[in-house]
Amino acid sequence: MELFITKRLLMALATVLVVAVLAFMLVHAMPGSPGAVSLGAGATQEAIDEVNQRLGWNDPLVVQFFSWLGAAVQGDFGISLIDGRSVSADLASRLPVTASLAAGATLLSAVLGIGLGVTAAVRGGMVDRIIGGVCGMAVALPAFWIGIIFVYLLAVQSSVFPATGYVPFEVSPQDWALSLALPVITLAVGGAAFIARQTRASMLEALQQEHIRTLRATATPTWKILYVHALRYASLPIVAGIALQFIQLFGGSVIAEQLFAMPGLGQAVQNSVSTHDAPSVQGVVVIATVVVVAVNLVLELATKFLDPKLRAS
Amino acid sequence: MIPNVAPASADSAEPTTAAVPPRAPRQSSAKKFAGNKLFASPASVAGVAWLAALVAASLTAPLWLPYKTEDQDFTAVLSGPTAAHWLGTDELGRDLLSRIFASAAGTLGTSMITVIVAVGLGTLLAMLAAAAGDRVETVISRVTEVTMSLPGTVIILAVIGAVGTNIPLIMAILGVLISAGMYRVILGQAKSLQSQLYVDAAKVDGVSTMGISLRHVLPGLTNTIVVQSALIFAVGMLIQAGLAFIGFGPPIPEPSWGGMIQGASQNVYNAPWLMVPTGAVLALTVLSANAIGNALGKAPNSTASHLPSAAARRRRTMSVKTAVAAIAATAPTPAGSTAAKNTLSVRNLSVGVDSTGAGNGVRLVTDVSFDVEPGTVLGLVGESGCGKTMTALSLLGLLPSGVSVTGGQILWNGRNLAAATDKDMESVRGREVALISQEPMRALDPMFTVGYQLTAAIRRLRGMGRAEAKAEAVGLLEKVGIVDAARILKTYPHQISGGMAQRVAIALALSGRPRLLVADEPTTALDVTVQAEILSLLRGLVKDTGMSVVMVTHDLGVVADLCDQVAVMYAGEVVENGRTDSILENPRHPYTLALLAADPHANHAADMPERLATINGQVPQPKDWPSTCRFAARCQFAGSACVVPIPLLPSGTGDGLVRCVKADELAVEGLDWVATEVASHHVLNLVETPAVATRTVEKDHA
Ligand code: SF4
Repeated sequence: MELFITKRLLMALATVLVVAVLAFMLVHAMPGSPGAVSLGAGATQEAIDEVNQRLGWNDPLVVQFFSWLGAAVQGDFGISLIDGRSVSADLASRLPVTASLAAGATLLSAVLGIGLGVTAAVRGGMVDRIIGGVCGMAVALPAFWIGIIFVYLLAVQSSVFPATGYVPFEVSPQDWALSLALPVITLAVGGAAFIARQTRASMLEALQQEHIRTLRATATPTWKILYVHALRYASLPIVAGIALQFIQLFGGSVIAEQLFAMPGLGQAVQNSVSTHDAPSVQGVVVIATVVVVAVNLVLELATKFLDPKLRAS
Repeated sequence: MIPNVAPASADSAEPTTAAVPPRAPRQSSAKKFAGNKLFASPASVAGVAWLAALVAASLTAPLWLPYKTEDQDFTAVLSGPTAAHWLGTDELGRDLLSRIFASAAGTLGTSMITVIVAVGLGTLLAMLAAAAGDRVETVISRVTEVTMSLPGTVIILAVIGAVGTNIPLIMAILGVLISAGMYRVILGQAKSLQSQLYVDAAKVDGVSTMGISLRHVLPGLTNTIVVQSALIFAVGMLIQAGLAFIGFGPPIPEPSWGGMIQGASQNVYNAPWLMVPTGAVLALTVLSANAIGNALGKAPNSTASHLPSAAARRRRTMSVKTAVAAIAATAPTPAGSTAAKNTLSVRNLSVGVDSTGAGNGVRLVTDVSFDVEPGTVLGLVGESGCGKTMTALSLLGLLPSGVSVTGGQILWNGRNLAAATDKDMESVRGREVALISQEPMRALDPMFTVGYQLTAAIRRLRGMGRAEAKAEAVGLLEKVGIVDAARILKTYPHQISGGMAQRVAIALALSGRPRLLVADEPTTALDVTVQAEILSLLRGLVKDTGMSVVMVTHDLGVVADLCDQVAVMYAGEVVENGRTDSILENPRHPYTLALLAADPHANHAADMPERLATINGQVPQPKDWPSTCRFAARCQFAGSACVVPIPLLPSGTGDGLVRCVKADELAVEGLDWVATEVASHHVLNLVETPAVATRTVEKDHA
C-alpha cells in the first residue's frame, strides 16, 4: 500500500511537471511578445523592447523556464501583463469559486446519479427505460443550453435564484448557496446522467456475480442484497466514475462561469487566453492541473481502500 | 467539459474478480462489426437517417436554402416561426433555418477530425502495446494515464491561446487528448486478440508483427472502433459547440451552433424561442451519434442476473398466483399430502427460457422426475449442457433471471416449490434447502469477511444474537474441518485457498441446519487432493446430520464414492436412473456406458481398458434437441428404431428406468462402448449411416 501511494504521488508530480512544461511552451507560442501585449497597440518598439528585456523575454528558453518554475514552486506566478496584478493573488481569490462549483456539482451528480442508477438497475422494466431515456437526453444536451433554460425558468420566471453573480461564503453563507445553486445544477445534469449510467452498469454487473446467488440461497432479504452487498461490490467502479467526472466538471466550470458571470478559474482562463496574458495562462493551467490531479489522487486512494484485496496487500 | 469516453467499469471492476481464474476470451467473431445490429434498434435507424439527412441538407444548402446566412431581414428581428422564416430569426433578423443548416457540414466535418485522430491514435497505440510486449505497454499506459488525468478543457483553451481559433487544428488536438481514453478501451481487446491461437499460428508462419496486427487484430476491433467513433463524434460536437459558445468559434459573421446558442442566450428574456431550434438540432445530432454507438455496442447476450429485477419478480408472483389458481381449480388435493417427511419428489419438471426474452421459450430441462429419500444422496450425472445445474437450481427457486420452471412439480414435504413465490421460497432457502456451488471463490462475497457472511446468515436463519452467532460460526467452521476458525473468520475470501473457501461455503450452507443440500459440482474447481477431503467431509456430514443431498457432478468417481441413487441426464432429460451400484455395475443406456468407459475412476482396476473411450461430438444446443432420441447423433448403437420419441421404461434392474429402445438388446448381447479414435467427420456421418454395433470382443483385438 505504501509503495502504491508513493508510486501514485510520483505520477502526480510527473503529471504536473509535464503540464508545466506544456503550459510554458504553449504560452511562448502565443502571438505577440509580453511587451506588446502589456503595452497594447500604439506602443513604440523601444518601449516594447524595454519591457521584454525587463521580463527576461530575450533570455534562452531554458533559463526562462527554470526561473519561472523556481518562482512557481514558491507560489509566485508573476504578474499579469494586462492589469499588473499578482497572478497568484488573483488565482487564490478565484480558486474557491471554481472549487465550490466543481465540488458541489460532483457531489450533486454523485447523489443523483447513484440514486437514479441504482433505481434503474433494481426496478428494471419501464422505470429503467425512462431513466435511461432521460439520461440519454441529459448527456446529449450541452450544459450551456441547459444552463440558459434554467436561468430562464428559475431565475427569470420565478426569481428564486439570482440569475448571475457569485457571493463569497464569508459575506453570506445563504446567498453563497443560492448563487451556486443554478450553476451547480446546470453542471450536475450531465454529470448525474454519466454517473447514473455507470452505477446502473456496475449494479447489474454486481447482480450477475455468483455470490449474489449464495446470498439468496441463505435467505438474505432482497433489500440487503441490493443495498448492502451489490452496492458495496459496485462501489469501486462508481467511485472511479466519480473521479473521472470531477475532471470533466472542473473543466465544465469554464462554461458555467461564463454563463453565470462567476469570477472563477474558468473565467480567468477564458480572459487570459483572449488577451494573450501569458503569466496568467501559465498560472491557471498549472493550478487547475494541481487541483484535478490532487482530487483524483484522493479518489483513487479511496477506491483502493474500498477494495479489500488492495487494502490488505 | 471533455467527457471521458472510456467506461470506468471495465478497468476498475477487474481487481474484485482477479482471484478468480479468467474466463476463456470470447471468440473474436462476436466482436466483429455487425451492421444488422444497427438496424435492430429503431433509435439507431432514426439516428442514421437524421445524420444522413443533415449532411445531405447541409452540403446542398446553397441550392435550397431560402436565405444566405448573412441576409438580414430587419422587418422580422427575433421572430418566432413564420411562413417566411420557418424556424424564426435572430437578433439581426437572420434566418435560423439557413444558418443552422449552412453550418452543419462544417460542424460535422470538424468533429470527424477529432474522431479520426482519437480513434486512429488510440487504436495504433493499443495495437502497438499489444504487439510489442509488457515494457512498451507500461510506458504507453503511463502516458495515457497522465493524459486522462489532465484538465482537458483548460489545456485546449491554452492551445487556443497559442494557435488562435484554428478549429480543425484544435479539434485534432482534442482528438489527441481523447485518444488516451480510446487506448484504454481497446487495449484489453487488442491483447486478447493478439494472444489468440490463430495469431500464434500466423507468427509461426513467419508473418511480421505488423502484418499480424493489420490482418488479424484490426478486423477484430472493428466493432469497438465504430462504437467509439460514434460516441467520440458526439463528444466532439458538444465540445466544439461549447468552445463557440464561450467565444472561441469561427470568426464572427460565420454561423456556428454554439455561437448561435450564445446569441440566443443574450435574448433569452425577450425571445426564448431562439434557444429551441439550434438546441434541438444539436441535441438530435448528438443523440443520433450516441444511439448508433449504443446500438452497435450492445453486448449480444450478457450473463443473466442472479437477482431478478423488481419488474421480473412482480411478473413471477402474478404468474405463480394464476398457476396456483389453475391447479387449485383442477386438482383440489395436492399430490404431496401423503408424502413422507423430508422427502423430495420431483415430478415431470420442465425448465425453459422465458418466451419474452432472447432465447424465446427454449426448453433447458424436460420432463425430469426423481425422488430423494431422507438421509440419502442422489447424483445427477452428465456432461455440461445437460440441464443438471438448472434442475438443481430450480429446487431452490434460484434459476437465473429469464429462466423459469415451465411445468411439473417439486414436492418438498408435500409442498410444491415450483409454484411458490419468491417470498415463500425465502422461508425454505437456507433453512430447509441449502446450496453449495461449483466455485467457492465466486460463491463468497469478496467485499465482506468470512465472519461477517457466516454470522449474518446464522443470525438470520437461526434467530441468534450477535455473540451467540459468532460462537456458532466458530463451531460450524470447526465442524467442516477448519482448525484455526477464529483466524479464518477475520479473513476475506481472497485470502484463503480454494479448498478452505469451499469449506467455508459448506459451513455457510449448513448455517440454517437444512434438511436437503443441493451441491452443484462442489469439487470440480478444486485440486485433486482437496477434492477427496471435501468429499469425505460431505460424506461425514450426511451421516452426522441425516440430511439428504442432491449432488450434481460429471464425475462418476464422485458418484461411486457418495451417491445412493443416480439419475443420468442427457440433453435436458433423464436417460437412466436407479441405484448407484446397479447403474455402475450394470449400465443400460449407451450414454451411461459411454460415460463409464470415458471415466478413469469409474473403471475397476482389473478391467481397466487400455484406451479410454471418448464420446465424440458435443451435447447439442437446447434449441437443437430433436424429438427423437437426443443421444442418437453421438450413439454408437443408433439405428433406424431410434428415430422416434423414446419413453423412460423400467430397465429390469431393480426399480431403475432407462430411455433407450435398444437397452434390452444391448444387455442381452453384452455390448460395450468402444474406445475408438473416430475423427469428428465420422461422427457427423453417424446420423445418415447408423453405425454398426461393435462387439466387445473387438476391443480385445485392439
Ligand atoms: S435409443 Fe438408439 S440412439 Fe438412443 S441411446 Fe438408445 S440406441 Fe442410442
